Amino acid sequence: MNLLEKSLHKLSPLFETGKPLAKFYPVYEALDSFLLTTGKVTKKGPHVRDAVDLKRVMMLVVIALIPAILMGIYNTGYQILLAKGQAIHNAQIWWLGLEKVLPIILVSYVAGGFWEVIFAVSRRHEINEGFLVTGILYALTLPPTIPLWQVAVGISFGVVFGKEIFGGTGMNIFNPALVARAFVFFAYPASMSGSVVWVAVDGFTRATPLAVLKEVGRGGDPIAALANQGYHVANLFNGFIPGSIGETSVWACLMGLAFLLITRVASWRIVAGCFLGLLGMSTVFYLLRGPNTFGIYALPPHWHIALGGFAFGAVFMATDPVSGSATNVGRWIYGILIGVLTVLIRDINPAYPEGVMLAILLMNIFAPLIDYFVLQAHIKQRNKKLTPAGAVPIKANSKS
Amino acid sequence: METIILQKGRDLKLKGAALKQIISLASAARIAIRLADFRGLKPKLDVQENDVIKVGSPILSDKNNPTIKIVSPVSGKVIAIVRGEKRVLLQIIIESDRRQETLGLHKFSVEEIKKMARHDAIQQLLDGGMWPAIRQRPFSRLANPSDHPKSIFVQGMNSEPLAPDFDFLLQGQEGLFQAGLEVLRRLTDGEVHLCISDKATSPALTQSQNVRIHRFAGPHPTGNVSTHIHFIDPIKKGDIVWYISAPDVLRGAALFLNGSYSGERVVALTGEGADNRVYVKTLVGSSIHDVMGGKLKGDMRYISGSVFNGTNAGQNGFLGFYDSQITVIPEGGERHFLGWLTPGWKAYSFSKTFLSSFFPEKEISLDTDAKGSERAIVLNDSYDRYVALDILTFFLIRAIYSGDIEEAEKLGILECDEEDFALCSFADPSKLDIGGIIRQGLDEIEREG
Repeated sequence: MNLLEKSLHKLSPLFETGKPLAKFYPVYEALDSFLLTTGKVTKKGPHVRDAVDLKRVMMLVVIALIPAILMGIYNTGYQILLAKGQAIHNAQIWWLGLEKVLPIILVSYVAGGFWEVIFAVSRRHEINEGFLVTGILYALTLPPTIPLWQVAVGISFGVVFGKEIFGGTGMNIFNPALVARAFVFFAYPASMSGSVVWVAVDGFTRATPLAVLKEVGRGGDPIAALANQGYHVANLFNGFIPGSIGETSVWACLMGLAFLLITRVASWRIVAGCFLGLLGMSTVFYLLRGPNTFGIYALPPHWHIALGGFAFGAVFMATDPVSGSATNVGRWIYGILIGVLTVLIRDINPAYPEGVMLAILLMNIFAPLIDYFVLQAHIKQRNKKLTPAGAVPIKANSKS
Repeated sequence: METIILQKGRDLKLKGAALKQIISLASAARIAIRLADFRGLKPKLDVQENDVIKVGSPILSDKNNPTIKIVSPVSGKVIAIVRGEKRVLLQIIIESDRRQETLGLHKFSVEEIKKMARHDAIQQLLDGGMWPAIRQRPFSRLANPSDHPKSIFVQGMNSEPLAPDFDFLLQGQEGLFQAGLEVLRRLTDGEVHLCISDKATSPALTQSQNVRIHRFAGPHPTGNVSTHIHFIDPIKKGDIVWYISAPDVLRGAALFLNGSYSGERVVALTGEGADNRVYVKTLVGSSIHDVMGGKLKGDMRYISGSVFNGTNAGQNGFLGFYDSQITVIPEGGERHFLGWLTPGWKAYSFSKTFLSSFFPEKEISLDTDAKGSERAIVLNDSYDRYVALDILTFFLIRAIYSGDIEEAEKLGILECDEEDFALCSFADPSKLDIGGIIRQGLDEIEREG
């Protein structure tokens, strides 16, 4: 320990202002504070501080993702063996899965990390820990078949245009991981969009559950159509189906959710809102089902939880505090509308089979507006309390 | 009498409370007047080095309002006038001759106080040097004697970590305290509100006459002046409220009854770094060295006030004008390997991100380690549960950052003081100085008038 501290201490003069490596101080700071706690002391009150910092919080989000990561690796290997029609062998599953998934995660971290460092150096701020989360979140939303260069292009776009051009961490309007995912989705539809998906075996394709549902005729039976393709509510929840690496298993996402709620890292209001919105809206469609409605209307509401990337999106993407609503009432509205929009896009928009990504991005845009209205209501109620009868209140939105 | 129970906030249960026992110090050898204590004062020096002064001799006055004076609590000699960068006055150090010769003023009986005109009461406070004990909201600055406050708040409780127990300090002081309240009654046509803890038992607090008594319960910041004002008589734009702490009411009363300035201060010695944790009777502005009985340790931080809002006085420092507490805690600065990865059995956090959060300790030990470095605000929901006022902290910060004063006023900044956000700064994962940001906003509003 002492040795480490000493060697870091020896390096530090190289990064001081005026020294050749001064520009790269953020890199040194990141490494230094990654290995050892900063050892800084407070200068003024509060003289004592809580042990939590952003590193800790971000680390907990990554820990919450572990079930989804493990499940993603296992399922990728499992699907390969299944497609090849070979005997299922556990060690082989893990090996095949790792072989596909690990490079994607590494490329995402290296390419995204590169831009993080470039911006930290040019703007002279610390490298933000938030990237630890963005890098893995993005990788988990990708299909295991994606070419690695597309992984790199996507995360580069996400970091630069999803975050840095807004001023960096804390200022971004959109969730950078989702921006990256949306970019590859629209730029390389052949490898991303989902009428057929992705088993990491050449030439093998299989319709996604949502694509199957699109094909169900008016008044058709969606459950039978899904069963026809081998999809049941059980394997949709369990996640042993082809799909994006981290998104297929609802259970893995719910385990992550439990961890995030126990540690109070994620807002329970947003997640509850998402699930309520989704169930509510799909119940409305379910009640409207008839011989002339799209087949997906007749899908029982709880199936919607298991479809596509909804659980992953609601738990890990919608709960990003920076791009979401920042008032408690706003968080409810924000979450509910994400759920509602997801179902709307799934049920009545024929162009995109998967709705949750677009629903969250759309609500990212509306989050500040929701907060604005909540804030105006707050100001109005404050004025009411402060104004004795007969006095003139300060107008909530007057520019005096 | 209703009790107002706070739902939000949190108590920080540090090790090292003071025993309820008062000891008298022989007498302070050195005291200082610290300029940083008096917000809103434009100082004009009334003494020079080596001047010989008495108790109550003016040391400074306010350029904007020359009737406001800061006076000496001891008789003796001015030994140093300390200036900082650009010759900014920092402190004036006075060495006591231990004779406590006083500058005499007119004496008043309680009956006379009750009949005094407002103007005469203010004059006595100004002449006797007790005026600076009264401050105003908004801005937490010295009160302006020509203002007419809508009400006056007496802070009869303190909920900061290891805070001095005002109930204990006022035990047996009924007469003096009541006289002080009568003086305050002369200063306003509105109410005088006395805010006390729901656990208070001393008759001085619970049986005062001619004031409105309010009881407060719940966690810190239940004892903060902003909390009291917010729930009883909230401030809107244009309002002025004055406030004073209960121990200073005693000093104010002494000025009227004895006709001389009383610099007496009972100070709680607290914190795990303090060896002899008791209450010490000393003088306003005493040196930390004297108050601690000369036993100082090198690896400790000496704070005048609480760990939340006190100032880092240092071993050579002095007690602040308004402070009734000294906190001594160990300095931090040790570095730990991969600190963010530990399960956290020993870490202390309000959050639930460490294992220890699920097994709360009764009393905790904390040093001055900052536990991280500053980052942008990411977890914007971590503030509101620690602010007792009806304030949306994240949006208030945002308004101040973007220089939108009008928005900040609408969001209620005038009700706030930086001390109300100490819990936020403590618990902030981004390690920002939230109180400092609020103060920046208040300063901006003050500048623009």
